Amino acid sequence: MDFRQKFELRRRDARWVAAVLGLLLLILTVLYYLIQRGRDLPETLVTNRVLLFVLRNVNALLILIILFVLARNLLKLWLERRSRALGARFKTKLVATYIGLSLVPVLILFFYASELLQGAVDRWFSGSLRSVLEGSATIAQELQEEISRRNLRDANRIARAVQGENLADPEVRAATTRKLAAWRQELGADFLALYEETEFVQAVLDPSSGLEDLPEVGRSFLLAVAETGRGEKVLVPAGGRGRVILAGAGGFRPSGGRRNLIVVGTLLDPRIASKSEELIESYQSYRQLEIQKGQFKASYLLMFVLVTLLILLASSWMGLYLARRLMAPIEALAEGTRRISSGDLDRRVEVAADDEMAGVVDSFNRMTEELARNRELIDRNQRELVATNRTLAEERALVGAILENLAAGVLALDAEGRVLTVNGAAERMLRQRADELVGRPIREAWADSERSRLAALVATPAGSSPAQVSLVLGGERRTFEAKLTDLPGEAGVPAGRVLVLEDLTDLIKAQKLAAWTEAARRIAHEIKNPLTPIRLAAERLRARHRQGGEGLAELVEPSVDIIVREVATMQGLVDEFSRYARMPGPQLAATRFEKLIAEVLALYREVKPGVDVRAAAGADLGEAWVDPEQIRRVLINLIDNAIEATEPPGQILVSAERRDETLELAVADTGRGIPPEDRDKLFLPFFSRKGRGTGMGLAIVQRIVSDHAGTIRVEDNRPRGSVFRVELPVGGRSGT
Amino acid sequence: MKLWPALLLVGLAAAGAREPAIRDLSIALDGVQVLVSFQLENGLSAELTERIESGLPSGFVYELALARDRKRWWDDGLASSRIEVVAMYNAVTHEFLVNTKQDGRLLDSRTITDRAGLERAMTRFTALPAFTLEDPSPDERYLVRTRVELAPGEVLGFIPMRRTTSWVESNKVRVRR
Repeated sequence: MDFRQKFELRRRDARWVAAVLGLLLLILTVLYYLIQRGRDLPETLVTNRVLLFVLRNVNALLILIILFVLARNLLKLWLERRSRALGARFKTKLVATYIGLSLVPVLILFFYASELLQGAVDRWFSGSLRSVLEGSATIAQELQEEISRRNLRDANRIARAVQGENLADPEVRAATTRKLAAWRQELGADFLALYEETEFVQAVLDPSSGLEDLPEVGRSFLLAVAETGRGEKVLVPAGGRGRVILAGAGGFRPSGGRRNLIVVGTLLDPRIASKSEELIESYQSYRQLEIQKGQFKASYLLMFVLVTLLILLASSWMGLYLARRLMAPIEALAEGTRRISSGDLDRRVEVAADDEMAGVVDSFNRMTEELARNRELIDRNQRELVATNRTLAEERALVGAILENLAAGVLALDAEGRVLTVNGAAERMLRQRADELVGRPIREAWADSERSRLAALVATPAGSSPAQVSLVLGGERRTFEAKLTDLPGEAGVPAGRVLVLEDLTDLIKAQKLAAWTEAARRIAHEIKNPLTPIRLAAERLRARHRQGGEGLAELVEPSVDIIVREVATMQGLVDEFSRYARMPGPQLAATRFEKLIAEVLALYREVKPGVDVRAAAGADLGEAWVDPEQIRRVLINLIDNAIEATEPPGQILVSAERRDETLELAVADTGRGIPPEDRDKLFLPFFSRKGRGTGMGLAIVQRIVSDHAGTIRVEDNRPRGSVFRVELPVGGRSGT
Repeated sequence: MKLWPALLLVGLAAAGAREPAIRDLSIALDGVQVLVSFQLENGLSAELTERIESGLPSGFVYELALARDRKRWWDDGLASSRIEVVAMYNAVTHEFLVNTKQDGRLLDSRTITDRAGLERAMTRFTALPAFTLEDPSPDERYLVRTRVELAPGEVLGFIPMRRTTSWVESNKVRVRR
């Protein structure tokens, strides 16, 4: 049953309650009317036993019904309160208040009315009234009885006079009947009759008495008189006016015969008879009422009790009705809250209230709608979140798999430098397990002398060029290229860092091997080049000598010159190589690059016509901790190569730029450029495309840069030529 | 010490002696007619007499039940009848009108002038043809039970309560062959 149905039921209930209250009012009105009219009702009706019985039983039945309904209501209330139903306490209080408010005045009224009734009824049956009525009735009865006694006395006298008369004898009968008139006149009776037991003989009556006809004495009366010798009776005469008081008497009964009976009658004056009867009947009515006094009181008391209970019932109903009416929206809201708590957000509280509760219900429904929308949004977001999480998990797994399978070592650090994750390659490279790293600050994890250099590198700003670090780990020297990258965070603050380590040990070994192979080949080649003229010169000398030595003298000089020259070339080669091998470490000193560049460029002014060698205007580069002599040599080698590669007209531009903690030197030319296939070999010893020279220049340059913990790379210049870029740390770091 | 229990017993006996009771219940058969005779002792109490003399119609209802006697089982009820006796007093004529009805049918209506006659008329029944045996069997014995319903009493002053005497059983008669 939804809330609307409940509310409709309650509305019907309200109509029903109104109807009951109307009926109650009607009953009370009718009761009041009956009580008012009861005063005018005949006492016989009021005191009628059946009426009293019906009234009493109807009262009792109504009381039982009311008590039942009242008890039922109170029991329901008690049960609701016991089961802690919503609103039970409120209902109880309201009903108790209503009953309490009505009970006190009603009970006072009830007891007051009861006492009033008791007093009134007792006054009705007071002794003085009873004595008056009893006296009046006695007087009336005494009047009749006096007449009756007189008639009886007269009847006895006449009966004695006629006793034994043989009325079967016509003469006796005639004589006796003749005497009747005289006797009636003598007695002054209104009626005198002679009977032979039940057989009528003769009767006379006073024509002035008002009797219109002879009274019908009755056979039973005559039989009673014949049997007992006397009898009295009162009967209504023909015409119904007044009363005839009869007395009968009989003489002795002759043996074998019938008894002669005399009946004397007196007509009581209709007015006196009527009044007499009224007095007697009034007394009788009084006696009847007196006998029924208890029932009378009980009936009225029952009526009061009925009214009292009706009022109590009405008040309790009213209390319950008001409580239900007030509680209906609250119960609906509670039910709605319960449904919401159980997750049903589709139901709405539908109570057609038109008061403040309507606003509450409306707000509740709007809140429910808002909750439903929010839950839908949350569900959708949750679904998206789940999908995102699933994607992230997949991606994480993918990244994890990639990281685990990467040849490069990867470490992720948080903003405080604590290791978040490390892949297997890093574990292998650094000879540390993940549980020794993860969760620990990197400085603590890499506190040893070797790894601390890596930790120091991690502390440097990210984004710089990869650095090469050579560490002795587990007794083995390993060379790593370390690249540090910031993890993007909020408001530009890095959320952490990622350190990527590339193990260059094998590569360097391979490169060295290749370099030495190339160097050997180049040395062999370079040595072979002078050896050939030397061998040729020597063979020529030997051949001339074997031929007899003719022209030998002329040949010795040029041949020896060739040999000496080529040996000198070979000596140069050996010296250069020896110098490369014995190159000392950089002696760092605070160096101003502007000055250094200017000094070097001064050597190249107008070295090659048509080739302009100059420095680019730059900002203040400040000081850098480098070996100025070695850097000077780097610049000279690079500029020499550039001049060599540049045909007039051309330009060689030397520039320097400071970027945070690094300084970049660039030597750009507009020469023929470097083919891509030669770029990997440029910095190898003895590699040269010039056809002259030792090919050690760029190798020495790369060695110096590396010794300064810097990098060198070559790029194409636009629109033509090449650019050699050297990045050096200004803080004076030096690589190993 | 033994005076109070004795007095109590005497009082109870006296009270019990004044209780209305059916006496001398006997039946006889006149052919198939069952003639019932009985009297109600102490029926006309002072309260009832006063009530009657005040003019309120008052009386008794006698309940009669005819049954076939069974020795080893409950008797077989054959018929029942209600005899209603109501007396009314006329204070003007000093007469009691006593009407007797059997099952709503007026049996007798008589006027009585004295209390003794009134008590006789209301409490004594002689050879009252109460039942007719429909299928009499000479092998069966018949009996009549009677009790009287008195004026209703009251509980708590207002709840009516039916008052009756206990059932009295008549002699058993057998139909002649």
